[in-house]
Amino acid sequence: MPRPPDRIRLLQAGALVALLLLWQGASWAGLPEYILDPLAIVRAMAAALASGELYRHVGASLARSVPGFLLGSALGVAAGLLAGTWRAADEVLTPAVFLTYPVPKIVILPIFMLWFGIGDLSKILIIALACAYPAFINAYYGARQAPRILVWSALNMGAGRWRVFSRIVVPSAAPLVFAALRVSLALSFIVMFAAEMINSRSGLGYLIRDAENSLRFDLMYVSLVSIAVLGYAGDRLLRYARGRVLAWQEAASA
Amino acid sequence: MKLLRRFAALALVLAAWEAAARSGLWSPLLFPPLGKIFRELAAFASTTEAWEQTLVTLERAFAGFAVAAIAGVLLGMLMGRSRVAAALLEPLFSGTYAVPKLALFPIFIFVFGIGSLSKVALVFLECLYPIVIITSQGAQHVNRALLWSAQNMGASRAQILRRVIVPATVPFIFAGLRVALPVAMIVVIITEMVSSADGLGYLVIYALSSLQTARMLAVVVVIAALGVALDALLLFARDRLVYWEKLETYYV
Repeated sequence: MPRPPDRIRLLQAGALVALLLLWQGASWAGLPEYILDPLAIVRAMAAALASGELYRHVGASLARSVPGFLLGSALGVAAGLLAGTWRAADEVLTPAVFLTYPVPKIVILPIFMLWFGIGDLSKILIIALACAYPAFINAYYGARQAPRILVWSALNMGAGRWRVFSRIVVPSAAPLVFAALRVSLALSFIVMFAAEMINSRSGLGYLIRDAENSLRFDLMYVSLVSIAVLGYAGDRLLRYARGRVLAWQEAASA
Repeated sequence: MKLLRRFAALALVLAAWEAAARSGLWSPLLFPPLGKIFRELAAFASTTEAWEQTLVTLERAFAGFAVAAIAGVLLGMLMGRSRVAAALLEPLFSGTYAVPKLALFPIFIFVFGIGSLSKVALVFLECLYPIVIITSQGAQHVNRALLWSAQNMGASRAQILRRVIVPATVPFIFAGLRVALPVAMIVVIITEMVSSADGLGYLVIYALSSLQTARMLAVVVVIAALGVALDALLLFARDRLVYWEKLETYYV
Protein backbone atom coordinates (compact mmCIF):
# COMPACT_ATOMS: atom_id res chain seq x y z
CA MET A 1 0.00 0.00 0.00
CA PRO A 2 1.44 3.41 -0.91
CA ARG A 3 1.97 5.77 2.00
CA PRO A 4 -0.90 8.26 2.19
CA PRO A 5 0.10 11.85 1.44
CA ASP A 6 0.87 14.18 4.35
CA ARG A 7 -2.40 16.05 3.95
CA ILE A 8 -4.36 12.87 4.61
CA ARG A 9 -2.19 11.93 7.59
CA LEU A 10 -2.74 15.39 9.05
CA LEU A 11 -6.49 14.95 8.61
CA GLN A 12 -6.38 11.59 10.39
CA ALA A 13 -4.35 12.91 13.31
CA GLY A 14 -6.60 15.97 13.58
CA ALA A 15 -9.74 13.81 13.70
CA LEU A 16 -8.26 11.62 16.41
CA VAL A 17 -7.24 14.58 18.58
CA ALA A 18 -10.63 16.24 18.08
CA LEU A 19 -12.41 13.05 19.12
CA LEU A 20 -10.35 12.69 22.30
CA LEU A 21 -10.82 16.38 23.20
CA LEU A 22 -14.56 16.09 22.63
CA TRP A 23 -14.73 13.01 24.85
CA GLN A 24 -12.65 14.63 27.59
CA GLY A 25 -14.68 17.83 27.33
CA ALA A 26 -17.95 15.90 27.56
CA SER A 27 -16.79 14.22 30.74
CA TRP A 28 -15.96 17.60 32.35
CA ALA A 29 -19.42 18.75 31.34
CA GLY A 30 -20.76 15.68 33.13
CA LEU A 31 -21.00 12.07 31.95
CA PRO A 32 -22.54 9.15 33.85
CA GLU A 33 -20.02 7.44 36.11
CA TYR A 34 -19.85 4.31 33.93
CA ILE A 35 -18.35 6.29 31.08
CA LEU A 36 -14.76 7.08 31.93
CA ASP A 37 -12.90 9.86 30.18
CA PRO A 38 -9.58 9.22 28.38
CA LEU A 39 -7.44 10.58 31.24
CA ALA A 40 -9.21 8.40 33.81
CA ILE A 41 -8.74 5.36 31.56
CA VAL A 42 -5.02 6.10 31.28
CA ARG A 43 -4.79 6.43 35.07
CA ALA A 44 -6.69 3.18 35.65
CA MET A 45 -4.49 1.41 33.11
CA ALA A 46 -1.29 2.68 34.77
CA ALA A 47 -2.53 1.56 38.19
CA ALA A 48 -3.42 -1.91 36.87
CA LEU A 49 -0.07 -2.30 35.11
CA ALA A 50 1.73 -1.32 38.32
CA SER A 51 -0.20 -3.72 40.55
CA GLY A 52 0.63 -6.87 38.57
CA GLU A 53 -2.83 -8.41 38.96
CA LEU A 54 -3.51 -7.68 35.31
CA TYR A 55 -0.65 -9.87 34.09
CA ARG A 56 -2.24 -12.95 35.62
CA HIS A 57 -5.46 -12.37 33.69
CA VAL A 58 -3.68 -11.53 30.45
CA GLY A 59 -1.59 -14.69 30.83
CA ALA A 60 -4.66 -16.82 31.51
CA SER A 61 -6.45 -15.41 28.47
CA LEU A 62 -3.48 -15.90 26.15
CA ALA A 63 -2.98 -19.44 27.46
CA ARG A 64 -6.44 -20.20 26.07
CA SER A 65 -6.63 -18.14 22.90
CA VAL A 66 -3.17 -18.83 21.45
CA PRO A 67 -3.28 -22.67 21.60
CA GLY A 68 -6.89 -22.59 20.39
CA PHE A 69 -6.01 -20.33 17.47
CA LEU A 70 -2.93 -22.35 16.49
CA LEU A 71 -4.67 -25.72 16.77
CA GLY A 72 -7.82 -24.63 14.97
CA SER A 73 -6.08 -22.78 12.14
CA ALA A 74 -3.56 -25.58 11.58
CA LEU A 75 -6.25 -28.26 11.40
CA GLY A 76 -8.49 -26.03 9.30
CA VAL A 77 -5.78 -25.18 6.79
CA ALA A 78 -4.61 -28.80 6.56
CA ALA A 79 -8.13 -30.11 6.03
CA GLY A 80 -8.93 -27.32 3.58
CA LEU A 81 -5.84 -27.99 1.45
CA LEU A 82 -6.64 -31.69 1.53
CA ALA A 83 -10.22 -31.13 0.42
CA GLY A 84 -9.05 -28.69 -2.24
CA THR A 85 -6.71 -31.22 -3.82
CA TRP A 86 -8.19 -34.65 -3.14
CA ARG A 87 -11.65 -35.44 -4.45
CA ALA A 88 -12.61 -38.05 -1.84
CA ALA A 89 -11.85 -35.62 1.00
CA ASP A 90 -13.69 -32.89 -0.89
CA GLU A 91 -16.86 -34.96 -1.17
CA VAL A 92 -16.92 -35.92 2.49
CA LEU A 93 -15.57 -32.83 4.24
CA THR A 94 -16.72 -29.84 2.22
CA PRO A 95 -20.52 -30.32 2.41
CA ALA A 96 -20.29 -30.93 6.16
CA VAL A 97 -18.23 -27.77 6.68
CA PHE A 98 -20.49 -25.60 4.53
CA LEU A 99 -23.62 -27.00 6.14
CA THR A 100 -22.41 -26.25 9.67
CA TYR A 101 -20.68 -22.98 8.80
CA PRO A 102 -23.61 -20.68 9.75
CA VAL A 103 -24.07 -22.44 13.10
CA PRO A 104 -22.91 -20.23 15.98
CA LYS A 105 -20.04 -22.35 17.30
CA ILE A 106 -20.35 -20.95 20.82
CA VAL A 107 -23.45 -23.12 21.44
CA ILE A 108 -21.12 -26.13 21.46
CA LEU A 109 -19.31 -24.71 24.50
CA PRO A 110 -21.78 -26.18 27.04
CA ILE A 111 -21.35 -29.64 25.47
CA PHE A 112 -17.57 -29.29 25.59
CA MET A 113 -17.87 -28.19 29.21
CA LEU A 114 -19.72 -31.42 29.99
CA TRP A 115 -17.22 -33.57 28.11
CA PHE A 116 -13.91 -31.93 28.92
CA GLY A 117 -14.67 -30.16 32.19
CA ILE A 118 -14.98 -26.50 32.92
CA GLY A 119 -11.22 -25.90 32.80
CA ASP A 120 -9.04 -24.58 30.00
CA LEU A 121 -9.38 -27.60 27.70
CA SER A 122 -13.02 -27.00 26.79
CA LYS A 123 -12.26 -23.33 26.10
CA ILE A 124 -9.22 -24.10 23.94
CA LEU A 125 -11.22 -26.62 21.93
CA ILE A 126 -14.17 -24.28 21.32
CA ILE A 127 -11.74 -21.56 20.17
CA ALA A 128 -10.05 -24.10 17.88
CA LEU A 129 -13.41 -25.14 16.45
CA ALA A 130 -14.40 -21.55 15.70
CA CYS A 131 -11.00 -20.80 14.09
CA ALA A 132 -11.01 -23.94 11.96
CA TYR A 133 -13.94 -22.85 9.79
CA PRO A 134 -12.56 -19.73 8.08
CA ALA A 135 -9.18 -21.47 7.78
CA PHE A 136 -10.74 -24.48 6.07
CA ILE A 137 -12.86 -22.46 3.68
CA ASN A 138 -10.11 -20.13 2.52
CA ALA A 139 -7.51 -22.88 2.24
CA TYR A 140 -10.02 -24.90 0.22
CA TYR A 141 -10.72 -22.09 -2.25
CA GLY A 142 -7.06 -21.12 -2.31
CA ALA A 143 -6.01 -24.63 -3.26
CA ARG A 144 -8.71 -24.86 -5.93
CA GLN A 145 -7.56 -21.56 -7.41
CA ALA A 146 -4.08 -22.94 -8.08
CA PRO A 147 -3.49 -22.13 -11.77
CA ARG A 148 -4.20 -25.31 -13.71
CA ILE A 149 -1.64 -24.49 -16.33
CA LEU A 150 1.12 -24.45 -13.70
CA VAL A 151 -0.03 -27.77 -12.27
CA TRP A 152 -0.10 -29.35 -15.72
CA SER A 153 3.30 -28.00 -16.71
CA ALA A 154 4.82 -29.20 -13.45
CA LEU A 155 3.34 -32.66 -13.92
CA ASN A 156 4.54 -32.67 -17.51
CA MET A 157 8.04 -31.81 -16.42
CA GLY A 158 7.99 -34.80 -14.11
CA ALA A 159 7.20 -33.24 -10.74
CA GLY A 160 5.71 -35.63 -8.20
CA ARG A 161 2.37 -35.05 -6.49
CA TRP A 162 4.04 -33.84 -3.33
CA ARG A 163 6.19 -31.39 -5.27
CA VAL A 164 3.15 -29.98 -7.07
CA PHE A 165 1.39 -29.64 -3.75
CA SER A 166 4.23 -27.89 -1.92
CA ARG A 167 5.48 -25.73 -4.80
CA ILE A 168 2.26 -24.74 -6.54
CA VAL A 169 -0.84 -25.46 -4.47
CA VAL A 170 0.43 -24.14 -1.13
CA PRO A 171 1.91 -20.90 -2.51
CA SER A 172 -1.23 -20.11 -4.48
CA ALA A 173 -3.39 -20.73 -1.42
CA ALA A 174 -1.14 -18.67 0.87
CA PRO A 175 -2.71 -15.21 0.36
CA LEU A 176 -6.22 -16.47 1.07
CA VAL A 177 -4.94 -18.49 4.02
CA PHE A 178 -3.47 -15.34 5.56
CA ALA A 179 -6.76 -13.51 5.02
CA ALA A 180 -8.46 -16.36 6.88
CA LEU A 181 -5.93 -16.28 9.70
CA ARG A 182 -6.81 -12.65 10.27
CA VAL A 183 -10.48 -13.56 10.61
CA SER A 184 -9.64 -16.55 12.80
CA LEU A 185 -7.51 -14.41 15.08
CA ALA A 186 -10.34 -11.96 15.63
CA LEU A 187 -12.70 -14.90 16.20
CA SER A 188 -10.33 -16.52 18.69
CA PHE A 189 -10.41 -13.40 20.85
CA ILE A 190 -14.20 -13.12 20.66
CA VAL A 191 -14.74 -16.76 21.59
CA MET A 192 -12.09 -16.61 24.32
CA PHE A 193 -13.74 -13.55 25.81
CA ALA A 194 -17.21 -15.09 25.57
CA ALA A 195 -16.08 -18.37 27.15
CA GLU A 196 -14.43 -16.48 29.99
CA MET A 197 -17.50 -14.35 30.57
CA ILE A 198 -19.72 -17.41 30.65
CA ASN A 199 -17.63 -19.53 32.98
CA SER A 200 -14.17 -18.82 34.33
CA ARG A 201 -12.22 -17.76 37.38
CA SER A 202 -9.45 -15.95 35.52
CA GLY A 203 -8.74 -14.12 32.30
CA LEU A 204 -9.83 -10.79 30.85
CA GLY A 205 -13.43 -11.93 30.27
CA TYR A 206 -13.67 -12.91 33.93
CA LEU A 207 -12.07 -9.64 34.98
CA ILE A 208 -14.68 -7.58 33.12
CA ARG A 209 -17.60 -9.56 34.58
CA ASP A 210 -16.13 -9.34 38.06
CA ALA A 211 -15.63 -5.60 37.67
CA GLU A 212 -19.18 -5.25 36.37
CA ASN A 213 -20.62 -7.08 39.37
CA SER A 214 -18.62 -5.06 41.88
CA LEU A 215 -19.18 -1.80 39.96
CA ARG A 216 -15.44 -1.26 39.53
CA PHE A 217 -15.76 0.77 36.34
CA ASP A 218 -12.02 1.43 36.23
CA LEU A 219 -11.32 -2.32 36.02
CA MET A 220 -13.94 -2.73 33.29
CA TYR A 221 -12.04 -0.27 31.15
CA VAL A 222 -8.72 -1.87 32.05
CA SER A 223 -10.01 -5.19 30.73
CA LEU A 224 -11.43 -3.50 27.64
CA VAL A 225 -8.20 -1.67 26.84
CA SER A 226 -6.12 -4.81 27.45
CA ILE A 227 -8.16 -6.96 25.10
CA ALA A 228 -8.13 -4.16 22.52
CA VAL A 229 -4.35 -3.93 22.73
CA LEU A 230 -3.97 -7.71 22.48
CA GLY A 231 -6.29 -7.90 19.48
CA TYR A 232 -4.52 -5.05 17.73
CA ALA A 233 -1.05 -6.43 18.49
CA GLY A 234 -2.01 -9.89 17.27
CA ASP A 235 -3.37 -8.43 14.05
CA ARG A 236 -0.18 -6.42 13.49
CA LEU A 237 1.98 -9.48 14.17
CA LEU A 238 0.00 -11.45 11.63
CA ARG A 239 0.36 -8.71 9.03
CA TYR A 240 4.09 -8.61 9.68
CA ALA A 241 4.34 -12.38 9.25
CA ARG A 242 2.29 -12.11 6.07
CA GLY A 243 4.66 -9.48 4.71
CA ARG A 244 7.62 -11.76 5.37
CA VAL A 245 6.08 -14.93 3.96
CA LEU A 246 4.34 -13.37 0.99
CA ALA A 247 7.05 -10.89 0.02
CA TRP A 248 7.00 -12.33 -3.53
CA GLN A 249 3.42 -11.36 -4.20
CA GLU A 250 3.14 -8.16 -2.17
CA ALA A 251 3.40 -6.07 -5.32
CA ALA A 252 0.55 -7.93 -6.98
CA SER A 253 -2.10 -7.66 -4.26
CA ALA A 254 -0.95 -4.78 -2.04
CA MET B 1 -26.01 -40.90 -4.65
CA LYS B 2 -24.75 -37.36 -4.65
CA LEU B 3 -27.12 -36.52 -1.82
CA LEU B 4 -25.81 -39.53 0.05
CA ARG B 5 -22.25 -38.24 -0.21
CA ARG B 6 -23.28 -34.75 0.87
CA PHE B 7 -24.55 -36.00 4.17
CA ALA B 8 -21.96 -38.76 4.62
CA ALA B 9 -19.89 -36.88 7.19
CA LEU B 10 -22.96 -35.76 9.09
CA ALA B 11 -24.37 -39.30 9.15
CA LEU B 12 -21.01 -40.58 10.37
CA VAL B 13 -20.98 -38.15 13.28
CA LEU B 14 -24.55 -39.02 14.22
CA ALA B 15 -23.79 -42.75 14.05
CA ALA B 16 -20.71 -42.27 16.23
CA TRP B 17 -22.82 -40.30 18.67
CA GLU B 18 -25.47 -43.00 18.89
CA ALA B 19 -22.79 -45.65 19.32
CA ALA B 20 -21.23 -43.63 22.16
CA ALA B 21 -24.64 -43.24 23.77
CA ARG B 22 -25.43 -46.95 23.58
CA SER B 23 -22.00 -48.23 24.54
CA GLY B 24 -22.70 -47.41 28.16
CA LEU B 25 -19.15 -46.13 28.64
CA TRP B 26 -20.35 -42.65 29.38
CA SER B 27 -23.21 -41.37 31.44
CA PRO B 28 -26.31 -40.50 29.38
CA LEU B 29 -25.78 -37.01 30.76
CA LEU B 30 -22.73 -36.71 28.52
CA PHE B 31 -24.10 -38.54 25.46
CA PRO B 32 -27.89 -38.63 25.48
CA PRO B 33 -29.14 -40.98 22.75
CA LEU B 34 -30.43 -39.33 19.58
CA GLY B 35 -33.96 -40.57 20.18
CA LYS B 36 -34.08 -38.74 23.48
CA ILE B 37 -32.79 -35.51 21.97
CA PHE B 38 -35.39 -35.82 19.22
CA ARG B 39 -38.19 -36.36 21.75
CA GLU B 40 -36.99 -33.30 23.68
CA LEU B 41 -36.96 -31.36 20.45
CA ALA B 42 -40.54 -32.39 19.68
CA ALA B 43 -41.63 -31.59 23.23
CA PHE B 44 -39.83 -28.26 23.04
CA ALA B 45 -41.37 -27.31 19.69
CA SER B 46 -44.89 -28.06 20.95
CA THR B 47 -44.73 -25.40 23.67
CA THR B 48 -45.69 -21.81 22.90
CA GLU B 49 -42.83 -20.72 25.14
CA ALA B 50 -40.33 -22.20 22.71
CA TRP B 51 -41.71 -20.12 19.85
CA GLU B 52 -41.73 -16.99 21.98
CA GLN B 53 -38.10 -17.49 22.99
CA THR B 54 -37.09 -18.16 19.40
CA LEU B 55 -38.86 -15.00 18.36
CA VAL B 56 -37.06 -12.99 21.05
CA THR B 57 -33.69 -14.20 19.76
CA LEU B 58 -34.59 -13.63 16.11
CA GLU B 59 -35.91 -10.14 16.79
CA ARG B 60 -32.69 -9.13 18.50
CA ALA B 61 -30.56 -10.56 15.71
CA PHE B 62 -32.68 -8.95 12.96
CA ALA B 63 -32.88 -5.55 14.59
CA GLY B 64 -29.10 -5.26 14.98
CA PHE B 65 -28.44 -6.80 11.57
CA ALA B 66 -30.90 -4.54 9.73
CA VAL B 67 -29.51 -1.32 11.21
CA ALA B 68 -25.97 -2.53 10.55
CA ALA B 69 -26.90 -3.37 6.95
CA ILE B 70 -28.27 0.12 6.28
CA ALA B 71 -25.49 1.99 8.07
CA GLY B 72 -22.81 -0.38 6.79
CA VAL B 73 -23.80 -0.07 3.14
CA LEU B 74 -23.95 3.73 3.37
CA LEU B 75 -20.60 3.97 5.16
CA GLY B 76 -19.00 1.41 2.88
CA MET B 77 -20.13 3.20 -0.29
CA LEU B 78 -18.94 6.49 1.13
CA MET B 79 -15.55 5.02 2.01
CA GLY B 80 -15.24 3.38 -1.37
CA ARG B 81 -16.03 6.52 -3.36
CA SER B 82 -14.63 9.38 -1.25
CA ARG B 83 -10.96 9.66 -0.39
CA VAL B 84 -11.56 11.91 2.60
CA ALA B 85 -14.12 9.51 4.07
CA ALA B 86 -11.73 6.62 3.44
CA ALA B 87 -8.85 8.48 5.12
CA LEU B 88 -10.98 9.17 8.21
CA LEU B 89 -12.86 5.88 8.53
CA GLU B 90 -10.48 3.25 7.16
CA PRO B 91 -7.95 3.47 10.05
CA LEU B 92 -10.84 3.35 12.50
CA PHE B 93 -12.24 0.13 11.06
CA SER B 94 -9.00 -1.67 10.32
CA GLY B 95 -7.44 -0.62 13.63
CA THR B 96 -10.32 -1.93 15.73
CA TYR B 97 -11.14 -4.89 13.47
CA ALA B 98 -9.39 -7.51 15.59
CA VAL B 99 -10.66 -6.08 18.87
CA PRO B 100 -13.53 -8.15 20.27
CA LYS B 101 -16.42 -5.71 20.48
CA LEU B 102 -17.93 -8.13 22.97
CA ALA B 103 -15.73 -6.47 25.60
CA LEU B 104 -17.97 -3.42 25.31
CA PHE B 105 -21.00 -5.45 26.36
CA PRO B 106 -20.75 -4.78 30.12
CA ILE B 107 -20.55 -1.06 29.37
CA PHE B 108 -23.47 -1.36 26.95
CA ILE B 109 -25.49 -2.94 29.75
CA PHE B 110 -24.99 0.17 31.84
CA VAL B 111 -25.71 2.50 28.95
CA PHE B 112 -28.63 0.69 27.27
CA GLY B 113 -29.95 -1.38 30.14
CA ILE B 114 -30.05 -5.12 30.69
CA GLY B 115 -32.86 -5.75 28.19
CA SER B 116 -32.78 -6.18 24.42
CA LEU B 117 -31.25 -2.83 23.52
CA SER B 118 -27.74 -3.58 24.80
CA LYS B 119 -27.74 -6.85 22.82
CA VAL B 120 -29.07 -5.21 19.66
CA ALA B 121 -26.40 -2.51 19.96
CA LEU B 122 -23.66 -5.13 20.17
CA VAL B 123 -25.08 -7.08 17.20
CA PHE B 124 -25.12 -3.84 15.24
CA LEU B 125 -21.49 -3.08 16.06
CA GLU B 126 -20.18 -6.57 15.25
CA CYS B 127 -22.16 -6.80 12.00
CA LEU B 128 -21.09 -3.34 10.88
CA TYR B 129 -17.45 -4.34 10.31
CA PRO B 130 -17.77 -7.02 7.63
CA ILE B 131 -20.50 -5.07 5.80
CA VAL B 132 -18.53 -1.81 5.73
CA ILE B 133 -15.23 -3.44 4.78
CA ILE B 134 -16.55 -5.64 1.99
CA THR B 135 -18.91 -2.96 0.60
CA SER B 136 -16.10 -0.40 0.46
CA GLN B 137 -13.88 -2.88 -1.37
CA GLY B 138 -16.62 -3.36 -3.93
CA ALA B 139 -17.32 0.35 -4.33
CA GLN B 140 -13.61 1.03 -4.71
CA HIS B 141 -13.05 -1.42 -7.50
CA VAL B 142 -15.76 -0.39 -9.90
CA ASN B 143 -14.52 -0.93 -13.44
CA ARG B 144 -12.97 2.37 -14.47
CA ALA B 145 -13.75 1.95 -18.13
CA LEU B 146 -17.44 1.85 -17.27
CA LEU B 147 -17.19 4.99 -15.13
CA TRP B 148 -15.32 6.84 -17.88
CA SER B 149 -17.68 5.84 -20.63
CA ALA B 150 -20.69 6.85 -18.53
CA GLN B 151 -19.07 10.24 -17.91
CA ASN B 152 -18.18 10.59 -21.55
CA MET B 153 -21.73 9.91 -22.60
CA GLY B 154 -22.85 12.74 -20.33
CA ALA B 155 -24.29 10.82 -17.40
CA SER B 156 -24.85 12.94 -14.31
CA ARG B 157 -23.27 11.98 -10.98
CA ALA B 158 -26.59 10.64 -9.72
CA GLN B 159 -27.01 8.56 -12.86
CA ILE B 160 -23.50 7.16 -12.56
CA LEU B 161 -24.16 6.24 -8.94
CA ARG B 162 -27.45 4.56 -9.72
CA ARG B 163 -26.55 2.88 -12.99
CA VAL B 164 -22.86 2.01 -12.60
CA ILE B 165 -21.62 2.13 -9.02
CA VAL B 166 -24.56 0.57 -7.23
CA PRO B 167 -24.98 -2.40 -9.61
CA ALA B 168 -21.23 -3.05 -9.43
CA THR B 169 -21.25 -2.93 -5.63
CA VAL B 170 -24.39 -4.94 -4.87
CA PRO B 171 -22.71 -8.36 -5.22
CA PHE B 172 -20.15 -7.23 -2.63
CA ILE B 173 -22.91 -5.92 -0.37
CA PHE B 174 -24.46 -9.37 -0.38
CA ALA B 175 -21.08 -10.91 0.33
CA GLY B 176 -20.79 -8.65 3.36
CA LEU B 177 -24.31 -9.45 4.50
CA ARG B 178 -23.59 -13.13 4.21
CA VAL B 179 -20.55 -12.83 6.46
CA ALA B 180 -22.47 -10.63 8.91
CA LEU B 181 -25.61 -12.77 9.27
CA PRO B 182 -24.00 -15.65 11.20
CA VAL B 183 -22.14 -13.02 13.23
CA ALA B 184 -25.51 -11.57 14.27
CA MET B 185 -26.65 -14.97 15.49
CA ILE B 186 -23.35 -15.62 17.29
CA VAL B 187 -23.49 -12.31 19.13
CA VAL B 188 -27.14 -12.68 20.16
CA ILE B 189 -26.56 -16.19 21.47
CA ILE B 190 -23.41 -15.15 23.36
CA THR B 191 -25.04 -12.14 24.97
CA GLU B 192 -28.05 -14.23 25.93
CA MET B 193 -25.75 -16.84 27.43
CA VAL B 194 -23.80 -14.22 29.36
CA SER B 195 -26.61 -12.09 30.65
CA SER B 196 -30.26 -12.63 29.96
CA ALA B 197 -33.48 -14.07 31.26
CA ASP B 198 -34.88 -14.99 27.87
CA GLY B 199 -33.94 -16.07 24.36
CA LEU B 200 -32.45 -19.32 23.08
CA GLY B 201 -28.97 -18.63 24.45
CA TYR B 202 -30.44 -18.33 27.91
CA LEU B 203 -32.31 -21.62 27.46
CA VAL B 204 -29.03 -23.38 26.62
CA ILE B 205 -27.32 -22.13 29.77
CA TYR B 206 -30.42 -22.82 31.87
CA ALA B 207 -30.66 -26.42 30.63
CA LEU B 208 -26.93 -26.87 31.21
CA SER B 209 -27.03 -25.64 34.78
CA SER B 210 -29.98 -27.91 35.54
CA LEU B 211 -28.09 -30.77 33.83
CA GLN B 212 -30.81 -31.46 31.27
CA THR B 213 -28.36 -32.36 28.54
CA ALA B 214 -30.94 -33.69 26.09
CA ARG B 215 -32.99 -30.51 26.44
CA MET B 216 -29.85 -28.41 25.98
CA LEU B 217 -28.90 -30.29 22.81
CA ALA B 218 -32.44 -29.88 21.49
CA VAL B 219 -32.06 -26.10 21.83
CA VAL B 220 -28.61 -26.29 20.23
CA VAL B 221 -30.19 -28.11 17.27
CA VAL B 222 -32.79 -25.34 16.99
CA ILE B 223 -30.07 -22.65 17.00
CA ALA B 224 -28.02 -24.53 14.43
CA ALA B 225 -31.06 -25.00 12.19
CA LEU B 226 -31.87 -21.29 12.46
CA GLY B 227 -28.31 -20.42 11.43
CA VAL B 228 -28.51 -22.65 8.36
CA ALA B 229 -32.03 -21.47 7.45
CA LEU B 230 -31.12 -17.77 7.67
CA ASP B 231 -28.13 -18.32 5.40
CA ALA B 232 -30.30 -20.17 2.90
CA LEU B 233 -32.87 -17.37 3.02
CA LEU B 234 -30.21 -14.75 2.33
CA LEU B 235 -28.87 -16.78 -0.60
CA PHE B 236 -32.41 -17.11 -1.98
CA ALA B 237 -32.91 -13.35 -1.76
CA ARG B 238 -29.52 -12.74 -3.35
CA ASP B 239 -30.17 -15.03 -6.30
CA ARG B 240 -33.49 -13.28 -6.92
CA LEU B 241 -32.13 -9.75 -6.66
CA VAL B 242 -28.63 -10.01 -8.06
CA TYR B 243 -28.85 -11.90 -11.29
CA TRP B 244 -26.03 -10.14 -13.10
CA GLU B 245 -23.07 -11.26 -11.09
CA LYS B 246 -22.33 -14.16 -8.80
CA LEU B 247 -19.66 -13.60 -6.20
CA GLU B 248 -18.26 -16.59 -4.34
CA THR B 249 -18.93 -15.13 -0.95
CA TYR B 250 -17.50 -17.62 1.45
CA TYR B 251 -13.97 -16.47 1.64
CA VAL B 252 -13.23 -13.20 3.27
